Amino acid sequence: MAPDPNTPSGSGAASREESTVKVPAKDPKKKDEKKDEDLSEEDLQLKQQLELYVERVQDPEPGIQKTALESMRQEIRTATSSMTSVPKPLKFLRPHYGTLKAYYETMSDTELKKYLADILSVLALTMSAEGERESLKYRLLGTGGDIGSWGHEYVRNLAGEIGKEYVKRQSDEAPIDDLMELVQQIVAFHMKHNAEPEAVDLLMEVEDLDLLIEHVDKANFKRTCLYLTSSARYLPGPDDMLVLDIAYMIYLKCEEYANALQIALYLDNLQYVKQVFTSCHDVLKKKQFAYIIARHGITFELDDEMAADDTDRELLQDIVNNSKLSEGYLTLARDIEVMEPKSPEDIYKAHLLDGRASAGASVDSARQNLAATFVNAFVNAGFGQDKLMTVPTDGGSSGNWLFKNKEHGKASAAASLGMILLWDLDSGLAQLDKYLHSNDPHVIAGALLGVGIVNCGIKNDCDPALALLSEYLDREDASIRIGAVMGLALAYAGTQNEQIRSKLTPILNDAKAPLDLIAFTAISLGLVYVGSCNEEVAQAILFALMDRSEAELQDPLTRFLPLGLGLLYLGKQESVDATAEVSKTFNDKIRKYCDMTLASCAYAGTGNVLKVQNLLGHCAQHLEKGETHQGPAVLGIAMVAMAEELGVEMAIRSLEHLLQYGEQNIRRAVPLALGLLCISNPKVNVMDTLSRLSHDTDSEVAMAAVISLGLIGAGTNNARIAGMLRNLSSYYYKDASLLFCVRIAQGLVHLGKGLLTLNPYHSERFLLSPTALAGLVTMLHACLDMKAIILGKYHYVLYFLVLAMQPRMLLTVDENLKPISVPVRVGQAVDVVGQAGRPKTITGFQTHSTPVLLAAGDRAELATEKYIPLSPILEGFVILKENPDYREDH
Amino acid sequence: MGQGQSGGLNRPGDRKPDGGDNKEKKKFERAAPPSRVGRKQRKQKGPEAAARLPPVTPLTKCKLRLLKLERIKDYLLMEEEFVANQERLKPQEEKAEEDQSRVDDIRGSPMNVGNLEELVDENHAIVSSSVGPEYYVGILSFVDKDQLEPGCSILMHNKVLSVVGLLQDEVDPMVSVMKVEKAPLESYADIGGLDAQIQEIKEAVELPLTHPELYEDIGIKPPKGVILYGEPGTGKTLLAKAVANSTSATFLRVVGSELIQKYLGDGPKLVRELFRVADDLSPSIVFIDEIDAVGTKRYDAHSGGEREIQRTMLELLNQLDGFDSRGDVKVILATNRIESLDPALLRPGRIDRKIEFPLPDIKTRRRIFQIHTSRMTLAEDVNLEEFVMTKDEFSGADIKAICTEAGLLALRERRMKVTHADFKKAKEKVMFKKKEGVPEGLYL
Repeated sequence: MAPDPNTPSGSGAASREESTVKVPAKDPKKKDEKKDEDLSEEDLQLKQQLELYVERVQDPEPGIQKTALESMRQEIRTATSSMTSVPKPLKFLRPHYGTLKAYYETMSDTELKKYLADILSVLALTMSAEGERESLKYRLLGTGGDIGSWGHEYVRNLAGEIGKEYVKRQSDEAPIDDLMELVQQIVAFHMKHNAEPEAVDLLMEVEDLDLLIEHVDKANFKRTCLYLTSSARYLPGPDDMLVLDIAYMIYLKCEEYANALQIALYLDNLQYVKQVFTSCHDVLKKKQFAYIIARHGITFELDDEMAADDTDRELLQDIVNNSKLSEGYLTLARDIEVMEPKSPEDIYKAHLLDGRASAGASVDSARQNLAATFVNAFVNAGFGQDKLMTVPTDGGSSGNWLFKNKEHGKASAAASLGMILLWDLDSGLAQLDKYLHSNDPHVIAGALLGVGIVNCGIKNDCDPALALLSEYLDREDASIRIGAVMGLALAYAGTQNEQIRSKLTPILNDAKAPLDLIAFTAISLGLVYVGSCNEEVAQAILFALMDRSEAELQDPLTRFLPLGLGLLYLGKQESVDATAEVSKTFNDKIRKYCDMTLASCAYAGTGNVLKVQNLLGHCAQHLEKGETHQGPAVLGIAMVAMAEELGVEMAIRSLEHLLQYGEQNIRRAVPLALGLLCISNPKVNVMDTLSRLSHDTDSEVAMAAVISLGLIGAGTNNARIAGMLRNLSSYYYKDASLLFCVRIAQGLVHLGKGLLTLNPYHSERFLLSPTALAGLVTMLHACLDMKAIILGKYHYVLYFLVLAMQPRMLLTVDENLKPISVPVRVGQAVDVVGQAGRPKTITGFQTHSTPVLLAAGDRAELATEKYIPLSPILEGFVILKENPDYREDH
Repeated sequence: MGQGQSGGLNRPGDRKPDGGDNKEKKKFERAAPPSRVGRKQRKQKGPEAAARLPPVTPLTKCKLRLLKLERIKDYLLMEEEFVANQERLKPQEEKAEEDQSRVDDIRGSPMNVGNLEELVDENHAIVSSSVGPEYYVGILSFVDKDQLEPGCSILMHNKVLSVVGLLQDEVDPMVSVMKVEKAPLESYADIGGLDAQIQEIKEAVELPLTHPELYEDIGIKPPKGVILYGEPGTGKTLLAKAVANSTSATFLRVVGSELIQKYLGDGPKLVRELFRVADDLSPSIVFIDEIDAVGTKRYDAHSGGEREIQRTMLELLNQLDGFDSRGDVKVILATNRIESLDPALLRPGRIDRKIEFPLPDIKTRRRIFQIHTSRMTLAEDVNLEEFVMTKDEFSGADIKAICTEAGLLALRERRMKVTHADFKKAKEKVMFKKKEGVPEGLYL
């Protein structure tokens, strides 16, 4: 075995190892000489020099040894070379590695021995066999001087070896103190040299991320935290929580409270949220925090500790309660000049179609009117004016749109008024009041629902919704009760309001209550207690489920009971286990359905691959007739996978396979799952798939695809989807049910005239609003049985979408919370994690002045130095502070 | 292959009949409209667009990247498991075969080859066949309309002339011959010396294709290409061959003069085509030898031919650093007259890495002699050092010529070994020819 200098590094390492123990024999030396001819003059000189050093190192005289070692170290350190090849001194020293190693063993313990160990450690970088970790071994034996002096590559190699050594020592339960010391050094080195990802990686390997906190400073904390937060999505639990904890700590340390708050919200840790408030003393910043919390849609009560001053606290609470949302939204609408109400006809744009469609008005006009009601509600949502519901009724009731709807249609029509006056509590309640005094139970039900919608996401100290709605909970008429129950659900989603629980749970236990009321009550409780894991509510729903008879379990509406249960555990992962155990005892009819719903809800937004696999496994079975649990399983795949971009893309691929192999009941759910994955984000490939499915032979698949087209385009005004839907409306002009779906989808595409989004993810896709997701999931579960629910008399479940509606705006406000207009650049967001330097965060940007709309995947940045934003993420309301260092350019 | 079909599972053709309005419905039945009409979608890079995986962003090697890649792997494994399960339960092959034969039936046989003149609407087009008139015909639903664009070759039904498929392969045959299918035999080991040059070309051409993260790490864009220049016979082409030999990227080679075409506009078109193919097959390396054929400085051209050559160069300029960014396409140019090249060609951002190939020094010369004589049977008396140490200016090619000449001399005398005298004679002969008839030593 010739330790030939020309052998490429890495090859035959193991076999070389044997020979290097001995002093190289004569035979290879001859060969060496022959090769020497190729070397240039300097190289040869260097080589001889090094050989000399090697010999001198073995000299008994310590002085000579020392100088030799010193000069060897000098040679290695000063060597520079191409990035592809081994530095020359190392290359020439390779044949002597064995010699030096052997000599090292014989040396007595002196300073010199440590010196030699240092050099051996560096040599081991290219020499040591895979898995030997000699570099680390000698490093630990060496002097332990400045680690960076040997170069980056050396540190990197050492880090890799530490990772492996750590695992080994863990299994042997050996002490790791000496390793940790080295880790300290390496981390300090990496953090200083712009290699934060490597530092974080190393610390993750040795499971000691706490070390990071002392090494971050103003210069590198941003990149470090960005890396940590984006890793968290892909780490298995509980590591992800740990990583985020560290990021939170770093942000707090560096006084980036807004970022810290976001992580606190992600962790759903109110303790942390409080800590952010108490550690920050800037009122203006606190206002920004309040805006962030308001966008996230959780209930949060400020106390004295968080804001000492009373007026400040009130103001902050006001922001948290979202009471300014309507105002901001209308500012946006006025700025973009879309205040003018639109009628459904403006949306259908029938004149763009060839003559046939308009002639097809013969079909079911009640259905059409109902569709128009919804379209009108969706399109004019939040604007406070429209062309159907709010126009003054001149000359009696005949002109009133409400009465153009029949029976249960009137409920939706009345509720649509609530949608039009969304978030505007005062005028909303005033205008709905007249319907509350109607004689028609459907109208009252609709008005109650409308009250809920107006209140959606808004909290008010007087709790007008609770006061109004609870009166109607005990009425005789089931539809009124449903309206009240749903209204409460929308108004108090996520609040965990005790009063509501005490009012609603009796209904669940009421033996005389009709099934639909019980179903909606379960959903309402699920929404109000979304993600709370509340035992009592869970019990109540479980009992209600057990009390159902065989026949009732067959009813399509029964699906809301397990869903209500599932919403309680939305995103709470393992907490669901106990309840899932109980559900195993259920009747066969509902057991699997319940299982799927619980699993998909509990792991929603986690990206847990194992759960996706599990759900996919259920979809792989071919079922007997009558089983329905695959629908929620398919939706579950989307719910779990929607957590991160990669998951979304890969889930879309998987769903494509489901389409290919699945039975009808799976194929019906696939479009809905696609709709959830790309909600308000019209990706071209998904759009094409859905457009293809919208012509499917199975009408339910087609209906789901049409609705999903609406969902993926929701609030985008996407011209292509609008065109597709227009064509579909003429294609399906004879089929009333499909036409109804097309109309709904059209309404969704123009949701809020393109100012709203349904995406439950916000803050650059980092945070997931639980109530928004809950609303979407409820609506999608209802769509699993389109004919019975949406096309039947429960079309008002569409209003659950209101929970997910949020303006997709960037509204900048000054220190007094008055809107100001500043130039911003809006462009496609770029993933800058782990990139060197200060890369651009957006690409293909355009400069606008605020307020602006942000599409899916867009990011904004200020185009002026004049102001400093108080939130790192420019979305929703952002408070701007004047930049004290700003100087006008002349 | 070659015929695009929409990948839809549901063929609108088999809507199940439902009731009385079926007949009327059929009349209005339409396939799902194409996502757009007109210009063909840019072909996705790599294999099937559908099989494309999402890009994984930090390119640096770090744990996050590992985790992301693992996530993708997990999903792929799940897909595999699912598909395997389904195939076991319900084989699709038969069904697919049946469908295929049905499509074949509809297509009919033989099919005419025609040209798509114009797309009228979603499912009608004007086509022409080679024989003559143009027809207004339907496009069958199973044809992938995303791939149709005016001017492409299509398959037509033999009777009704409706479009039943399309022929996709339309790479200029001129370009397809440029692709190096069989790697040349010369490797880096066959190059004597030139260590610095090899290192440089590796860094500029190979590394960006194999290790893009190195450049990402440091935050720079890798160079687009290199130009090799130096006296004739110093190994420029040899090095390019060695690159082609060692790389697994697509290697396209052109000689500058090939880009000069007979008809106006053909040259630039060829350049465009060349880079398009390179892009399609990326990662790829384009090697243009003797670039001075097209790349000379611009001046007032008097003949149309000269102007055309200049236009070809302008197209080359555009392709090198024009509006469209080229992804993984690296360019190697070679010339022995770098001073006559247009400065625009060599400006930073286009080809800014210039690698000079000097005449070999003594050490290199020795290497070259060794390489060339390693397979020759030499007599005992041959002392190569004499030639190595000579003052004459040899290029690598000269040395090769000397060795060949010496071998020929030995052959002529039917000897089995090449002697020192052969080498001497050969050297003189080569030098004589090189100095254009001036015998060596005359002007000493």
